Amino acid sequence: MSDIMGLIYTGEMDTRLRELTAVRAIAAVPILARYRLIDFPLSSMVNSGIRNIGVIMQRNYRSLLDHLGSGKEWDLHGKRAGLTILPPFLTKDSVGVYEGMLDALHSNLPYLRSSKEKYIVLTNSFMLYSADFEDMVEEHEKSGADITLMYSKDPGIRRSGQGKYCEVQEDGTVTQIEVDPMISRFDNTMLEVFCMRRELLISLIDLSTSRGHYHFTRQMLQGGVNDKSMKVHGYECKSKVWSIDSVEAYYQCSMDLLNPENRETIFPEGRPVLTKLRDEMPTRYLPGAHVSNSLIADGCVIEGNVENCVLFRSVRVAKGASIRNSIVMQDGRIDSMAEVNHVIMDKQASVRESTRLIGAANYPVLVSKGLTV
Amino acid sequence: MLRKKRCVAMLLAGGQGSRLGILTSHMAKPAVPFGGKYRIIDFPLSNCANSGIDVVGVLTQYRPLELNAYIGSGAPWDLDLSSGGAFVLPPYQTGASGTWYKGTANAIYQNIAFIAQYNPDYVLILSGDHIYKMDYAAMLKHHIRHEADLTVAVRQVPWEEASRFGIMNTDANDTIVEFEEKPKNPKSNNASMGVYIFSWDKLRSYLEADEADPKSSNDFGKNIIPKMLNDGCKLTAYTFSGYWKDVGTIASLWEANMDILEERPEIDLHDKSWRIYARNEGYLPQYIDQGAELNRCLITEGCQISGSVTHSICSTGVVVEKGAQIIDSVLMPGVRVAAGARVVRSIIAENAIIGEGARVGEADGDIAVVGIGVTVAPGAAVAAGVQYEPNHGG
Repeated sequence: MSDIMGLIYTGEMDTRLRELTAVRAIAAVPILARYRLIDFPLSSMVNSGIRNIGVIMQRNYRSLLDHLGSGKEWDLHGKRAGLTILPPFLTKDSVGVYEGMLDALHSNLPYLRSSKEKYIVLTNSFMLYSADFEDMVEEHEKSGADITLMYSKDPGIRRSGQGKYCEVQEDGTVTQIEVDPMISRFDNTMLEVFCMRRELLISLIDLSTSRGHYHFTRQMLQGGVNDKSMKVHGYECKSKVWSIDSVEAYYQCSMDLLNPENRETIFPEGRPVLTKLRDEMPTRYLPGAHVSNSLIADGCVIEGNVENCVLFRSVRVAKGASIRNSIVMQDGRIDSMAEVNHVIMDKQASVRESTRLIGAANYPVLVSKGLTV
Repeated sequence: MLRKKRCVAMLLAGGQGSRLGILTSHMAKPAVPFGGKYRIIDFPLSNCANSGIDVVGVLTQYRPLELNAYIGSGAPWDLDLSSGGAFVLPPYQTGASGTWYKGTANAIYQNIAFIAQYNPDYVLILSGDHIYKMDYAAMLKHHIRHEADLTVAVRQVPWEEASRFGIMNTDANDTIVEFEEKPKNPKSNNASMGVYIFSWDKLRSYLEADEADPKSSNDFGKNIIPKMLNDGCKLTAYTFSGYWKDVGTIASLWEANMDILEERPEIDLHDKSWRIYARNEGYLPQYIDQGAELNRCLITEGCQISGSVTHSICSTGVVVEKGAQIIDSVLMPGVRVAAGARVVRSIIAENAIIGEGARVGEADGDIAVVGIGVTVAPGAAVAAGVQYEPNHGG
């Protein structure tokens, strides 16, 4: 039995994803033809032998609940441990709207207390990466630190005016933390993935909330590093990382992962990314189909041109239609002779016959769920 | 105590399927892959799930390992229930004796105790080697309406083929008046599909009587049904008119695979109201490379296609490298076809590797087969009709 428990926080602010998160929590945003974002941290945890996993929910979590179900697809439906869904609730101290991750953790203290594992791995839900949390906890233990945070030197996830950055010494000690700077002085972007002893987290939550702190990094961690009351260690993420923090980042990530080398870093051999199944038949390619450099899920019917695209389950591309550099989510339809370029189509969206819908590489057009153009 | 069930299904999956040659040298026929992501047994199991039958006993005997692992807890078909589910039932030793299943009827006889746990009113008997979508609940309604002791599902086959089947001759009310096994001069073309619904008390007494008869070959078609007819039991025929294909031979397995490549296949696997469920593994979406050519083909999760695929099926996890050509063929899960190889009118079994520039099959002639995990050396040729499995004397 693993001595590590996992906790995924899905309450992030997500307005930069526009309509993609109008209908769902960011953790439930569909990505890469058959996954949702939460599949990546969740699968990394399961692949690291973690059996007790909690998912803290906050916003619009209907589709997230539907996706996770009993946790069966991740083998988390057992009796001894498994998936625990932690939705917000009204108490005498809280109205169920979390101010920040620390606040959310405070509301879920009973779950943390009743768990038995020595260590806890805490992650957000909008970063795409592959991690071996056993390795992270091992390094944490060796370092003698109170808290270990994961960081990446990947320049692709740096953002002006947002993000959390840290200074890491040669021995791995974190000496400074910056939150949302316009220009960061450090190369290391924090992934908002942490590990520590479970008991320590419980006492830190208690201490910090008693001081009126709600934010894990900005208040608790940064404070601890600044006044040297906390020993914080940095663990470098071994895979490439994509931060899905805007529509453009979402689009770029999808296009990047058409490249097989990029796919290999987040889908390593022997560590499958698991997701909810839909039992679609294989995809049918009929006469007229011309497909190039595309990731395609099962259940599609393709009779037109598809180039540099990500097609989710049951997408139909009719005869004479042409779709390039685009993402089409589940049940999308491109009717005959339509032309689509640089577009993200949310679930059940369709583009009618002979319609042209053209975005730009740095500003893809976003078609909302269920909309017909 | 188990909840009483109205109808329990028993799926005969013990057949060796020797006519499938090297495809069944490692596994029972029902475990053979079909249609890109399915196995043959997914069809009867999904039919059960879609018909609301939630106790399915799967009788295995020949090379059961693959099938046992595949069925597992029954979860892919929603058959992992505390009040029922899918159960793999191999023959077993009892205190006094223990025998292999001697025939189809004996296989059910040996599992009377299993069925009796649920105290059902009806028992549905299925076989695990047909591709079809059928609502067993509609057949059960027919059985109840006719107050029958046994209902046999029949389909009308072309007259010239009728002498290959068990033929049910009926009166105007669907009552079976005569049963002829492979008649030379058939009187009707109502062929038995090997799908039966028995009223449980009748089935139980006939199985017990049949077991007591040392001359019986313990077979439903040869013994039980003729005996019931003889005794004046009420037998009715239930006519099924949808797609149904026996996939007992290499040629028919290949044909059934080709059938789903049709523009409008007779069996619609897109149908959301009657899904065919299968055990899925964590594969990536399929990746279609630059320069790939796809024409009337089915491609499944986990595939990486860089070559040309025409009128063929690429099952889960298949890799077709640049310059490779696949025509009129079925590539089963995990097959790799290296650059410049050409596969025509062939079935390539699971995890086989076709080396660079190799040639398998020919544009006319019989279907070529490459066995499970077999490697065809670069530049080598496998002729039409050959079953290539060097380590098994093939």
